[in-house]
Amino acid sequence: MRTLAAEASKLASLPSVWIALAAGVLVPSVIAGITASATLGAITRGAKTLAGVDTGYQELAFGVVGVIILGVVGISSEYFTESAESGGGRQVTTSLTAVPSRLRFLLAKISTIAITSALLAITAAATTMGVVQVVLGERAPALGADDVPRLVGVVCYWVYTALLAFGITVLTRHGVIPLAVLIANTSVVTVTYLLTKITPLANYLPDMAGVRMFIRKLADNTVEISPLTGGLVMTAWVTVLLVIAAIAFTRRDA
Amino acid sequence: MITIENLVKRRGSKEILTGISFQGRPGRVTGFLGPNGAGKSSTLRILLGLDRATSGTALIGSVPFVWLPDPLRTVGAMLDGSGAHRARTGQAHLRWVARSAGLPRARVDEVLEIVGLTNAASKRVGSYSMGMGRRLGLATALLGDPEILILDEPVNGLDPDGIRWMRTFLRERAASGRTVLLSSHLMGELAETVDDVVIINEGKVMADGTLDEVTGSYRTLEDAFFALTTGGSL
Repeated sequence: MRTLAAEASKLASLPSVWIALAAGVLVPSVIAGITASATLGAITRGAKTLAGVDTGYQELAFGVVGVIILGVVGISSEYFTESAESGGGRQVTTSLTAVPSRLRFLLAKISTIAITSALLAITAAATTMGVVQVVLGERAPALGADDVPRLVGVVCYWVYTALLAFGITVLTRHGVIPLAVLIANTSVVTVTYLLTKITPLANYLPDMAGVRMFIRKLADNTVEISPLTGGLVMTAWVTVLLVIAAIAFTRRDA
Repeated sequence: MITIENLVKRRGSKEILTGISFQGRPGRVTGFLGPNGAGKSSTLRILLGLDRATSGTALIGSVPFVWLPDPLRTVGAMLDGSGAHRARTGQAHLRWVARSAGLPRARVDEVLEIVGLTNAASKRVGSYSMGMGRRLGLATALLGDPEILILDEPVNGLDPDGIRWMRTFLRERAASGRTVLLSSHLMGELAETVDDVVIINEGKVMADGTLDEVTGSYRTLEDAFFALTTGGSL
């Protein structure tokens, strides 16, 4: 419990974590605002009759940038090396002399990041769906009982994405590369999406499978994966990665 | 009591430590001295459970550091730099460490006062000078008011005032019956601080004894050190 409190305190006192939280709420909400007003324009022009079934959800799929930052800096901050003039120290030495059990330390980190990501996902989903409702008004797709499992899917997807980013960074011990690759993959160059054009197997990559938990229609994709299967596939990826990360972390020199 | 026995550390094909043994006793300041790259930090990192020894043991009391039920209240450690993330304030850094050991918040203010950082407590660690960073590192080590202090190059980066302060401080800790183990490559600064001396070079202990024993027939500890580390014998 103390270890968990210490990890929460670490996260809360890191400026980049606040940037991550702000990005987590703003990115999907703002994009949802822009696309919703474009949709509204199309509907009033008569080019479209209805807002799509994935309105809001699509934006929440892209909005994981916040939890990616969270997962990466949650561990890369431990390995950030001070300048040589300041003595070249790293926080991880302080962390592991305060909490010598590596497994306990890692579990506390994983828990804090998972809880924070879940809270962030709930907040982001509420604001994003709120923006959609406000902009589209009565033309917005009605939120009903069907949306409960989909929104749970969004929360799972965000938590898992944060843990994937975390697990990769435990292995690299450096934040820049995982941050750049993972953010690019959700926005500029969606490598995993492009791979699905080459092989249907790419649909089982963690992010492609994970979005099935709440996205109903993927553009130009005929592979059917149920929300449950998608969730299980992503769970498997995350579990395997975290186990590998834990083995590496407990065995290597800090 | 710190007991290091036959510590061997290999990295790749290189043997960094080739059977290090020595003790740090309560009520005494033990100086672990050697040139840069001699294996001082590696030894301390193994003692603190940060690195794994290829063979040999390093014990705090009778157990390895990682088995201590309440490490922060038993051992205070300071390694390179401040050991804090530069974006955090000094106070925020101490608070999370205190939280990990269930120490009260008031203790954070106490240690800031002890090391003279009260006024810089709400500044980011990135804006600290090296000396301030070292003080923060020491404040972290002191949080749990531990029986044992393990300090890697504690006077590095300190100004003359700071060095003098550190000396007095460590002498007082030892006088109250606690164990202090410090490493350094600076001999002159330490002759007045340490009771026992362990000299290490290229991963081997070259001399181990009281300050007088190690200084022996040489004029100063520094002379003894250079004689021992550049091929001479005691």
